Amino acid sequence: MLILISISSDLKKHNLTMQKKAVFFIVATILLGTSLSAQKYFTREGKVSFYSDAPVEKIEAHNSKATAVLDAGSGNMEFAVLIKAFQFEKALMQEHFNENYMESDKFPKALFKGEVLNLDKVNLEKDGEYPVKVKGSLTIHGVTNEIESPGKFIVKDGNITASSSFTVEVADYDIQIPAVVRDNIAKEVRIDIEAGLQELKKGS
Amino acid sequence: MKKLLGIGLLLALIAGGIGYFMYNKPHQNMENAKADVVLDARELFTAFEANETEANQKYLDKVVKVSGLVKEVSTDEEGNVSVTLESGSEMFGVICQMDNLTQHDKTDFKPGEQVTFKGICTGMLMDVVLVRCVLV
Repeated sequence: MLILISISSDLKKHNLTMQKKAVFFIVATILLGTSLSAQKYFTREGKVSFYSDAPVEKIEAHNSKATAVLDAGSGNMEFAVLIKAFQFEKALMQEHFNENYMESDKFPKALFKGEVLNLDKVNLEKDGEYPVKVKGSLTIHGVTNEIESPGKFIVKDGNITASSSFTVEVADYDIQIPAVVRDNIAKEVRIDIEAGLQELKKGS
Repeated sequence: MKKLLGIGLLLALIAGGIGYFMYNKPHQNMENAKADVVLDARELFTAFEANETEANQKYLDKVVKVSGLVKEVSTDEEGNVSVTLESGSEMFGVICQMDNLTQHDKTDFKPGEQVTFKGICTGMLMDVVLVRCVLV
C-alpha cells in the first residue's frame, strides 16, 4: 500500500513537470513562430553613389554591388560596400581616391550598421511610400561615426526599395586632402544609397 | 630674351599637355589587360573565406582570370550585367560585374554554363566581387 501511494505521488509530480514542459513547449513555439515570421530582406546589388561638388570640379563615383540586410522584425539593418568597386569617370581620380584618400588596400570596406527607427510605420506588404529614420554607425576609412539620416521605403507591386541620401564630412573620417586640391574636392560629400530588397528565403 | 621666352612657352605647353593627358588618362583597357592571377572561382572564394586579410593582400586590385560555372545572371536598370559563379558555398559566389566601358559580344549567360572572366578583384563582402569583367 505504501509503495502504491509513493508511486502515485511520483506520478503526480511527473504529471506536473510534464504539464510545465508542455506549457514551456507551447510558449517556445509561439516565440519561435513570431521570430521566424519576422522576415529578413536582403540584396547584393545595392547602389551607392557619392558626389563631391567643389568650386573647381564635380566628382562622382558609383558602386552597384553593395550588400544590405534588413531584419523586418527588429528594424536592424546592415549595409556594406567595397571601396575598390567604386567607379569614376576619370581613371586618375579613381587612383587617387583609392591610394591617397581612402587607402583602400588597408580599408577595403565601408560599413553601416544600425536600425530603422520607425519600421513599425512601414507596411512592407502594402504599396506606398514610407519615410523612415535610420540611425547607426558608419565606418569609412577605418573610422566609425554615429549618424542619423532620413530614408525612404518604397513598396510597389511587392518590390521593396530602400533609399537614403545624406552627407558626410570628409574630415570626420580622417581623410586628408592636400592643400593643392582643396578646391577640387568638397569638404562635404553627398552619399546616395538605393537598394532593392528581396525576401531572404532559407536555402535559396 | 625672345628665345628664352619661346623656350619657356614651349615648356609650359609641354607641361600643360602632360598634365592634361594625365588628367584624362583612360581607364585600363580590360580586353588587353594581362591577367596577374589565373584560378577558378572555387579557389578564389575559398581563399577569401579562409583568410580574408591574406586574400586581400594577394588579390586586391589584381587582374584576375577566373573560371567557373554560372550560378546566376542579373541585369540592372541601366543594363549592366553581373554574372555570379559557383563557389562551392550554397549562398554566396564570385560576382563578376561586366565592364561598362567594353563592348561585349555576349551577355546572355545561362546557369550551369562554363565561363572564364577577366576582371579586377575588389574584395569580399558576402560574395567575392570582381569589377570591369570581360569574357575570355
